[in-house]
Amino acid sequence: MPALVIDHLVKTYGDVRALDDISFTVEAGELFGFVGANGAGKTTAMRIALGVLRADSGTVTWDGSPIDLARRSRIGYMPEERGLYPRMKVGEQLVYLARLHGMGRADAERAMAHWTEVLGVADRRDDAVEKLSLGNQQRVQLASALVHGPEILVLDEPFSGLDPVAVGVMSEVLRGEAARGVPVIFSSHQLELVEQLCDRVGIVRSGRLVASGGIDELTALERPRWTLEADLPAAWTPGVPGVTAARVSERMWSVEAADAAAAPAVLASAVQSGRVTSFVPNRPTLTELFRDVVAEPEGEAA
Amino acid sequence: MIWLIARREFRTRALSKASLVTSSVMIVLIVVGALIAKPFLESDGDAETIQVASGPTAALAPYLQAVAAAQGTDVEVIEVVDPATDALDEGVAAVLTGAVTQPELFVDSADDAVVGLVQAAVQAAALDAQVEALGGDPAQVSQALAGSTAAVIVLGDADGFDSGEFFAGFVVILVLFFVLVQSASVIMMGVVEEKSSRVVEILLATVRPSTLLGGKVLGVGLYALMQAASLMLPLVFAAVYLDLLGSIGISVGALLLNFSVWFVLGFALFTVLFGGLAALVSRQEDLGSVTTPMMLLMMVPLYLAIYLVPNSPDGPVTAGLTQVPFFAPFLVPMRLAFDAISPLEVASAIVLCLIAIPLFVWLAGRIYAGAVLNTGGRMRIADALRRR
Repeated sequence: MPALVIDHLVKTYGDVRALDDISFTVEAGELFGFVGANGAGKTTAMRIALGVLRADSGTVTWDGSPIDLARRSRIGYMPEERGLYPRMKVGEQLVYLARLHGMGRADAERAMAHWTEVLGVADRRDDAVEKLSLGNQQRVQLASALVHGPEILVLDEPFSGLDPVAVGVMSEVLRGEAARGVPVIFSSHQLELVEQLCDRVGIVRSGRLVASGGIDELTALERPRWTLEADLPAAWTPGVPGVTAARVSERMWSVEAADAAAAPAVLASAVQSGRVTSFVPNRPTLTELFRDVVAEPEGEAA
Repeated sequence: MIWLIARREFRTRALSKASLVTSSVMIVLIVVGALIAKPFLESDGDAETIQVASGPTAALAPYLQAVAAAQGTDVEVIEVVDPATDALDEGVAAVLTGAVTQPELFVDSADDAVVGLVQAAVQAAALDAQVEALGGDPAQVSQALAGSTAAVIVLGDADGFDSGEFFAGFVVILVLFFVLVQSASVIMMGVVEEKSSRVVEILLATVRPSTLLGGKVLGVGLYALMQAASLMLPLVFAAVYLDLLGSIGISVGALLLNFSVWFVLGFALFTVLFGGLAALVSRQEDLGSVTTPMMLLMMVPLYLAIYLVPNSPDGPVTAGLTQVPFFAPFLVPMRLAFDAISPLEVASAIVLCLIAIPLFVWLAGRIYAGAVLNTGGRMRIADALRRR
């Protein structure tokens, strides 16, 4: 299966190390979320993946070969700072961009019609881009990344500034593209969205990839934890080996075990001792994970 | 790909309302101006009518006609019995009455050209009368007068200042200068527009910077050429219609050919460089910091062509600078107008320009590629070249 491989990228601007040895892989058909604080190096990494910027060292390959101009025209790109000709009409502009990517006129017209329809801006085709609302401009921007039927999608902050309906439409489109076998990399600060949408995430900090992997992998804990809500005697203990329970409040207990397999035994013990209202595994959210990783002091993060 | 970009540039410029309106207004102004001016210019050429009273004054009529012919003006002399002298009749320039040697001339104003004409005619008549009175033949006298001219040998610069040649050359380079300045600013604004709207980033994801810049220059160049043509053609029409070219004495064809060759070369040289430099800034407001020095720089060859060439059309300095691509687009047309350049020099200047253009394109492309993704303040050229 082809994969987009980002291998040991380094990029410096003067004394600033924008990218410090970043490597990750995005398989075909995979949604990869790229998160990090502002200025962490996400945009630089995406620009290099696209060939708009040149790395000081390291390579980007797709299906085993480096990304040259011909291959680059098969990438759909949405830059962080939106860019369209403000005075050009939506339809004309999309057709022009599709043709720059090597499409014929008829195909380009058809693709433009399709994507403006899907993204809900079909009735604005004959308006200049600057006349559209920001949200609609954003939809057109996404259409410009999709209009030439790309083999790879690189989207920098595709969700910023969108209303919930548009976020839904755009998520659907990204899922659809991934299902078509396209590797999709996108960056976002909306971590809940990343958590819902992505197969895997990469967290960057000061130019380094400090964590990457599947959401489950990343948020899994060394010692699984649960929150138990029940009417239990104050002296209740689960009575399962390797499991400790602490009373947090009147009806709340925090349970920790060496192994997730202990869960049924713990629950059974609680049910015997009193009335249980809920028993939930405690996983950190991506937001918590992100905060932990990014807040760590420089030395430890390395 | 480059044609797609050029086509877009051309279409957005050429089909913009402002451009269409300006072009059509200019065309209409020139054509209507020519149509309106024609009767006025022609009425100037109409024969002036001088009424001569019958009787003794009528003897002046042949002299008037002879003097008018010698001066190259059209005069119609009509003999009238007792002409009106308190006010001139409609269409009459002057009325002449009285004795041949001491006539009375009635005109609207004392500085009419007709006064000098009548003066000369009266003097000629008086001279003839005197010659006859002395027993000589007036015809012989005027023949002798006409035959005696001094041979003039010029010891100074053989190529005297010829205002006709200067004018022809001046028009060519001035039009060239303005077209270049206008196109360069269009290109620069285009580059900065793409940069400030950030569309350049998605363009560069699929197009090489040099292709993008090249397409831009090509599209705007074609547009400028079309615009220049849309002004030149009515101007040529006006000139032909009003018969102005005869008085300048140069052929339109040579002028246009001269203009087009150096337009293309000069355009490629200057606008490519301007386009590259425009990428150094990120906002329209900052464009001045790049344009002003470049405009001033462009005035150097313009002024050299205007001041140096007429003074020393084939001096060593002029000949040397002619071969420098930066100066050639202005110096060569001017020297051609003065006919002070050998075909070999023209050919080598063209060849050198053709060699310089790819170098300029490469340099501008480097600057453009290095600077076009930079945002914020103005970038230094050296930094732009080091980027990427």
